[in-house]
Amino acid sequence: MTPGTKRARFHWLDLVVLTTVIGFVVYVFYRVDSVLVYRWDWSVIPGYLFRWDEETESYAANLLVRGLITTIRISFWALILASVLGVLLGVARTSSRLLPRLIAWGYVEFIRNIPPVPFLFLFYFFISSQIIPLLGLRDAVESAGPNGQAVLAVLFGPANLIENFASGLISLAMMSAAYIAEIVRAGIQSIPRGQYEAGHSVGLSSREILRQIVLPQAIQRVVPPLAGQFITLIKDSSLVALISIQELSFLAMEIAISEQRFFEVWLTVGLMYFVVCYACAIAFGWLERRMGRHLR
Amino acid sequence: MRSLKTILGAMVALPLALSAPSIASAQSVIEDVVSRGKLVVGLSTFVPWAMRDKKGDLIGFEIDVANQLAEDMGVEVEFVPTAFDGIIPALLAKKFDVIITGMVMKPQRNLTVNFSDPYAFLTVGMAANKALAEADGLETMEDWNSSGVTLTIKRGTAPGETAARLFPKARVRQFDDDAQALQDVLNGNAHAFLTSEPKPAYYVIDNPDVLYHPFGVGPFDPSASAFAVRKGDPDALNFFNNWIEYRKLDGWLDETHAKWFKGRDWLEQVQ
Amino acid sequence: MTATLDDLGAAPLRPARRPRAWWQAPWVDVVQFLLLAGALFWLAWRGANAIDYRWQWSRVPAFFYREIDGEIIWGPLIWGLQVTLYIAAWGLVLTLAIGLVVAILRLSDSLSGRILSRVYLETIRNTPLLVQVSIFYFVLQPILGINNPLWTGILCLAFFEGAFASEIMRAGINAVPRGQWEASQTVGLSRAGAYRYIVLPQALPLMLPPLTGILVNLIKHSAILSFVAVFELTTEARNLIGDTFMSFEIWFVVGAMYLVITMTLSAGVSWLERRVAAKR
Repeated sequence: MTPGTKRARFHWLDLVVLTTVIGFVVYVFYRVDSVLVYRWDWSVIPGYLFRWDEETESYAANLLVRGLITTIRISFWALILASVLGVLLGVARTSSRLLPRLIAWGYVEFIRNIPPVPFLFLFYFFISSQIIPLLGLRDAVESAGPNGQAVLAVLFGPANLIENFASGLISLAMMSAAYIAEIVRAGIQSIPRGQYEAGHSVGLSSREILRQIVLPQAIQRVVPPLAGQFITLIKDSSLVALISIQELSFLAMEIAISEQRFFEVWLTVGLMYFVVCYACAIAFGWLERRMGRHLR
Repeated sequence: MRSLKTILGAMVALPLALSAPSIASAQSVIEDVVSRGKLVVGLSTFVPWAMRDKKGDLIGFEIDVANQLAEDMGVEVEFVPTAFDGIIPALLAKKFDVIITGMVMKPQRNLTVNFSDPYAFLTVGMAANKALAEADGLETMEDWNSSGVTLTIKRGTAPGETAARLFPKARVRQFDDDAQALQDVLNGNAHAFLTSEPKPAYYVIDNPDVLYHPFGVGPFDPSASAFAVRKGDPDALNFFNNWIEYRKLDGWLDETHAKWFKGRDWLEQVQ
Repeated sequence: MTATLDDLGAAPLRPARRPRAWWQAPWVDVVQFLLLAGALFWLAWRGANAIDYRWQWSRVPAFFYREIDGEIIWGPLIWGLQVTLYIAAWGLVLTLAIGLVVAILRLSDSLSGRILSRVYLETIRNTPLLVQVSIFYFVLQPILGINNPLWTGILCLAFFEGAFASEIMRAGINAVPRGQWEASQTVGLSRAGAYRYIVLPQALPLMLPPLTGILVNLIKHSAILSFVAVFELTTEARNLIGDTFMSFEIWFVVGAMYLVITMTLSAGVSWLERRVAAKR
């Protein structure tokens, strides 16, 4: 009778429940027309995904697709940076020395408890505005030559917003890293003590134990919660609209305002996020199964 | 622990690196714009001031104004559309040279930023939910000034003042955008929606069975839109003021304003 | 903060130590940490000065309270704070209820239970909260006739956080050893009885720490209700910013308010946890 272990059975009650739920959904759709004072018009949406460009005589990505690409672009880099930062912080939280523990603890508590907007403002306007210009990103992009610039535009977006992009992705990564650190810490601490003892007895140093014994096992355990965190990051990336990055939610809002097509745009955008996030979830599920097979 | 030492080393080195360059410069933003050859304009979407057409390009009254301004300065223009919550901090932090987005000047705001002379005036109109107003017996201005009345507006726009002055007892709910504030009234959650003309008139034309003008089409409370610039830059203020005066005198501003506010021909470009 | 140094995640195993030199003493680490924090603070301070903005902190207290004729009138930020706490409190109750139901449905043998909980979880987790709030407020509210923006908001938040709570609860329930289920079956308890008397009491201490995160998230995510003009703290703050343009001052004050509330709550829960742990 342990839950969740048997195959699901089909009971007559299931039929009742499912019928009720489907009935409710149909009722909602039926009532939308009569209760909601709103004229539905889906015809404008496809044009905002792709439009026919008369100059080049081909289809070109319009705002929604461009926004989606920006969202994926910034999430991708932020994910990588967040993973690196998160693992470092997670390891630091289990360190035997006090200083790394204190630093990681202070960082995680600060990020997890402060709302994202003040953090973004603090970071973007006061901290990164001093550091990012020192990196000379803008000059680097401008000196890259036309081909180089095209490649950079695919990777990092338009040149004039490259500094915003860098700050945006760093702050997204910093926020996510705090949560990843906690996941990594839980993963490391879930490795039984015996493994450390075994490592010491075969003469490995603490660092070798961490690298060769603990982390490989911990990583497999942290894959499922990590997937959830990555999805959260993709969805939360809409925050960077505050610093002028033209990502999906922001452009959707602009279209909704210009077109007065609020619901159609939002539903489309919800679906777009769903596709990206669900694909991410499936990829992680596959990764988890593969890693499980490898270790078994 | 080597990595940790590297981090600490970097933390020590950073202030040294930072102490070298100088960020602040006393020259006016106008000089910066001219030497850079580019005017950076911050804006957020607000129909028909700045919006997106079918191609995804920016159009609207503000866009025309900023383009003309840049042309008259002999520089290029760069529009940076930004979420409304982010545009004031970005201006203060020198990410934009000027904000041109139909910003209404108010004394409370003027303490934080400087405003140019007004380049456009707007008036507030009111579109109300017919059924709700009838059910609650709202007829006179006194009826409307009651704690049972809910009004909606777009956050940070002129109608907030109007609502507070005409109906101080009513609850005012502020939305991120006109579309939501309107939908809230259409849904019957709020009694009336206040926004700048001519939008209320169009909304009533579009939804004649649901909406009406409780006090006629007549508008309330004129207010003035102006460019917003950082404090402490008299040169910029002088330049923008005189540009506005110059373009007012030659009729260009009025003409452009009429194009966007007196008709809905631009609607074709959008829908 | 009430966290002791041991809470900070001590090493799983420390090899036997040699006697320590003075520079290895804990206070040295604390001093280094404080220096680092100080350096970061200085950096932010320097950045704040670099934009030469004239800070207007003197206008801030009026947003908390005003004194009129010797009577104290609470300002918008205090009202907003109250609503935020109200949302968080009721949101937590509903979140836990939804989370528990979904967790049990997911673990049940019922086909419809598994399908529904799965569809619910995937929909909630893979779409932005903003889209969910819009649909709850502008579509579901008039259809279901709830006619109360605040409660629509609470309901929507609870449905959102409930998805994450249910995963925590499922993990907690799964962590209770199988033998416990078998034992409760042997003594003749029904499944509901086993949940109530045997499994949930054991799962609760495991769930408590991650559920604190849910509470913190409830408070932070309640800010998104400003999108549908619920009068909570962030809405009030954004309205004030719209009126005064004091973005930095108001956002930092409000950020600090959230920080204080969530830190206090986290500290409270960790105290509770220790009490629970001490009792066993």
